Amino acid sequence: MRLLVIEDEDLLRARLVKALEDSDYIVDSASDGKTGLFHATEYDYDAAIIDLGLPELDGLSVIRQLRDQGKVFPILILTARDNWADKVEGLDVGADDYVVKPFQIEEIRARLKALLRRAAGFAKPKLEFDGLSLDISARRLLVAGVEVELTAYEYKVLEYLMLHPGKVVSKTELTEHLYDQDHDRDSNVLEVFIRRLRQKLDPDETLKPIDTIRGQGYRFNVPPSA
Amino acid sequence: MSRQVHEAPYSLRKRLVMAFGLLLILFLGLAGLVLDQAYQEGVEAAVAERLQLHVYALMGVAEPEDEGFFLPDLEEARFSQIDSGLYGFIFNRDGRELWRSPSALNFNLADTGFMPGLPPRGETEYGSLFTAEQGQLALASYGTYWENRDESYSFVVFESSAPTAAQIREFRSNLYLWFGALGVFLSIAQYLLLRWGTFPLIELAEDVSGIEAGERDQLQGSYPKELLTVTRNLNLLIRSERDRQSKYRNTLEDLAHSLKTPLAVLSTALQESAQAQTLSEQQRQEMAEQLERMDQIVSWQLKRAVKSNHNQWLAKPVSVSPLIEKILSALQKVYRDKNINLETRLDEHSVFHGEKSDLMEICGNLLDNAFKYCSSSVMVRVSGKGRSLLIEVNDDGPGIDEGKRHWVLERGARADTAKSGQGIGLAMVVDLVSAYNGEIRITTSSLGGAAVSVRFGKKGADSVSNVA
Repeated sequence: MRLLVIEDEDLLRARLVKALEDSDYIVDSASDGKTGLFHATEYDYDAAIIDLGLPELDGLSVIRQLRDQGKVFPILILTARDNWADKVEGLDVGADDYVVKPFQIEEIRARLKALLRRAAGFAKPKLEFDGLSLDISARRLLVAGVEVELTAYEYKVLEYLMLHPGKVVSKTELTEHLYDQDHDRDSNVLEVFIRRLRQKLDPDETLKPIDTIRGQGYRFNVPPSA
Repeated sequence: MSRQVHEAPYSLRKRLVMAFGLLLILFLGLAGLVLDQAYQEGVEAAVAERLQLHVYALMGVAEPEDEGFFLPDLEEARFSQIDSGLYGFIFNRDGRELWRSPSALNFNLADTGFMPGLPPRGETEYGSLFTAEQGQLALASYGTYWENRDESYSFVVFESSAPTAAQIREFRSNLYLWFGALGVFLSIAQYLLLRWGTFPLIELAEDVSGIEAGERDQLQGSYPKELLTVTRNLNLLIRSERDRQSKYRNTLEDLAHSLKTPLAVLSTALQESAQAQTLSEQQRQEMAEQLERMDQIVSWQLKRAVKSNHNQWLAKPVSVSPLIEKILSALQKVYRDKNINLETRLDEHSVFHGEKSDLMEICGNLLDNAFKYCSSSVMVRVSGKGRSLLIEVNDDGPGIDEGKRHWVLERGARADTAKSGQGIGLAMVVDLVSAYNGEIRITTSSLGGAAVSVRFGKKGADSVSNVA
């Protein structure tokens, strides 16, 4: 999951980025609204955390312009101005949730997870599919009711695919959303993860949850449970 | 600074009506008096002149005969008709009657009390007397000297004043009629002119109360030059006061931002140190508590400072329903997962007389609490007319224990002393509501949870009343 953090206070931004990276997110950051808007326009993100009081271009304008561009990823507002006018306006121009400063990192994590899950169309913290269930809060995978251990990277790949069910996800998209920019982007590694996931999810090869679409990428094909 | 404006005993219109009315009465009365006097004098002068002419006419035809006079040819027919009202006499120096006109055959001179004297030669004396038979009589007596007889005579003419009195009476009644009509006409004209003249003032008053009632936010009508300075300055005052408030608000909010961000840095640093275990759990907890206290104090004090000074008159009236709908749509986004069943009954004409941001804080906090604590249903009702406004927020959550309601509301007065973990949301609401002389109540909702109702503009709600 690739995130964008726009916050002008250096220390706070650094801590936020570190805390999110510790939670296995890929995080880009910007210290002013203009740069932040540039990042968000140029790259594809799964979610953004935007401070409202930003230099160059304020947070509300950044959000407004992103939504005008048709960007639909969830946006979490950080605000020091603890007033309803700002919160409501932020949500009104297109943000999805807000956190008031000072905040607990845990709260940001929880809100982000909820936003990412909701953006994928899941109302509950568990992504439920036929025979498969991924609890993104606890990071637990159940296959036919039995917990299956996943490595951090396996989890990241599976979570991304499950959050985009039925959609063809290219290898580039996967690498972009799962790895740092300076990370070695060997697509063979990705193939290895996919193979391992297939074995863990479907040892009997009856479900075949991940399709390989030649020349395009992968698709998680199990329909979500009602 | 409690210099208040009181109503002066007389309105402007009343003053002008009274002043002009008095002036009108005085003017018409004096003019009537002068006219009446002038007319009467004119009539009397005409009578005197006529009597003089009659005297000359008698003298012109008088022929001395023996001791008396013979007047053969009287031109004025009334001298010849008995009791015609015009009587001529000639007396000698001793007052002896030498001749009387045929009209005066029945005239009883002795009754009149007239004492024939002899005026100086060539002069006329005028007078009037009253007789029971003839009524008021005007008289002219002329003294003359007959050279060929070497004798002085007086020629006297009496004329009844009844016709002239009737003439004056008629003039007077005409005068009263015309002056009366003029008075009525002038009064009506004066009233209409006053209305027309003071109309801009009344319009201004209505315009101002329109602002008060929340129908508009600036003076809008067209005003005459004399009032334009006042209305423009008033508009300027309203605008600058609003600008000043919003500038003040922005400055304080920037201050909040610059205080809160370092707090956020400290708070995240503390969380990191806890992970790295550079601090003991007790140290971490103490620091976390102190940080939270600092945060609450900063929030509380800044919110109190930002809170408008509740200049309700100058505040733009805020339409309540759209604002609540906006908050609701924002909250539905935030609490999307809860699938809240929302029921609203919003009277679209309800208006809040105060700062929009204050109403936003009140509604935002109340609705956020309801969304946060409800299990599945929230009901919002807004009603109100004129200056009164009622906002009711119901939820089906756990509610607030009856015993705790008082405490929750009273805490509002000093939330900066609140222990960590207690939000300042409701405390802020209580504080704001009381600043607007409103009333806040917590009861049990028909939905089963808490029902918080906030009422503004209730008559007689001068003091703060927090009713649990």
